[in-house]
Amino acid sequence: MKCCDSTHCDFTQESIAGGVSRRDFMKVCSAAAVYMGLSESFGPTIAEAATTAARRPPVIWLSGQECTGCTESLLRASHPSIGTLLLDLISLDYSETLNTGAGHQAEEFRAKSIEENTGKFILVCEGSIPVKDGGIYCKVAGRTALEILKETAPKAAAVISFGSCAAWGGVPSADPNPTGATPVYKILEGTGIPVVNIPGCPPNPYNFLSTVLYYVTFKKLPELDDKLRPKFAYGRLIHENCERRPHFDAGRFAEKFGDEGHRKGYCLYKLGCKGPETYNNCSTLRFNDVGTWPVNTGHPCFGCSEEGVGFKAPLHSPAEVLYVTPPAEFVSAPPEKGKGASALAAAVGGAAVGAAAVAVGSNLGKKDQDNKEN
Amino acid sequence: MAKRITIDPVTRIEGHLRIDCEVDGGKVTNAWSSGQMWRGFENILLGRDAREAWLFTQRFCGV
Repeated sequence: MKCCDSTHCDFTQESIAGGVSRRDFMKVCSAAAVYMGLSESFGPTIAEAATTAARRPPVIWLSGQECTGCTESLLRASHPSIGTLLLDLISLDYSETLNTGAGHQAEEFRAKSIEENTGKFILVCEGSIPVKDGGIYCKVAGRTALEILKETAPKAAAVISFGSCAAWGGVPSADPNPTGATPVYKILEGTGIPVVNIPGCPPNPYNFLSTVLYYVTFKKLPELDDKLRPKFAYGRLIHENCERRPHFDAGRFAEKFGDEGHRKGYCLYKLGCKGPETYNNCSTLRFNDVGTWPVNTGHPCFGCSEEGVGFKAPLHSPAEVLYVTPPAEFVSAPPEKGKGASALAAAVGGAAVGAAAVAVGSNLGKKDQDNKEN
Repeated sequence: MAKRITIDPVTRIEGHLRIDCEVDGGKVTNAWSSGQMWRGFENILLGRDAREAWLFTQRFCGV
């Protein structure tokens, strides 16, 4: 069975390497297209690009000051297994967490891959880079993370800083930043090396996957915001799409953990929720393939992905509300004309209005973004 | 004369681990393990609101 009309696409079997069914794989590619703000019809294009062996990009995964939570987040995505999928989509040539070889074997393989793939590989950085005292607070094979990054990055096609630590410093950079933990983009400032930040603690694996698939498909990086984050994932505030937003707009708040409002699922703003100043798509994309995220478990967002908020702003103090008004102006239902509109016609009309509201919402999101940039 | 063997990095674990050992006549006679990364959680936690401690300490290790 052919998956698309392209003559180059030999992606015709029921399953691909790694045991991921074709159906699941197509679903992921279509979903990734939607995450990236593209039409779902880009799914086959992405699938084709991702499964053409000659285009499989080598990836070197460097670990700085990290807890490996980012790697875990990626490997434990399970519907389908993104870990399996990614290992078949990309050629992961070096990762301290996943390498079979250790010590000098691992290091030699890394050097060989960098040599062979200069200008072609994607460098993924997990963890911040300590610069205090000559960078001695993180060493691999006797060399500092700073030294290794500076040597490796100029040979990469692009750098992806995965997680808050690599993207803006994260936990290690919390006051008083004992080790001089520095984000990757700052180390590489002025070198012209393209850097994409995918912050979060942990970041959502689908944002990473979508960025890689975008690169594989279009041979360029997705559009980034002023903090080098892909706009498709970080273009809107958590507050804008939060399931508890109607409670915020209606003034219904949990005042204390365990009080009546908290038990009823009211807005967590007064408990210190940082959703109104944190740009991320947690409230729509969610985590762990079971639709969970901090706010729906009853804990306020603490802004883990936002520089200056996560690990910085006091946990239970109220956030700065960047946009007070609701994100979308809902289109009013058109008045019925004539008599006897059938229940079916009313339902169809309602669906059209709903779709229009979503479309308007997404346009407003862009406008907000533009305003922010200006 | 004892032979010194160093394995760094030790892979498939969380964190940056280094193992040094001395081998004499086919037997390990001495060995050291050392973490090669430090973030200073103790210093970060000093003087903070106690209710925030979990936020930091749970990030020692993400595995």
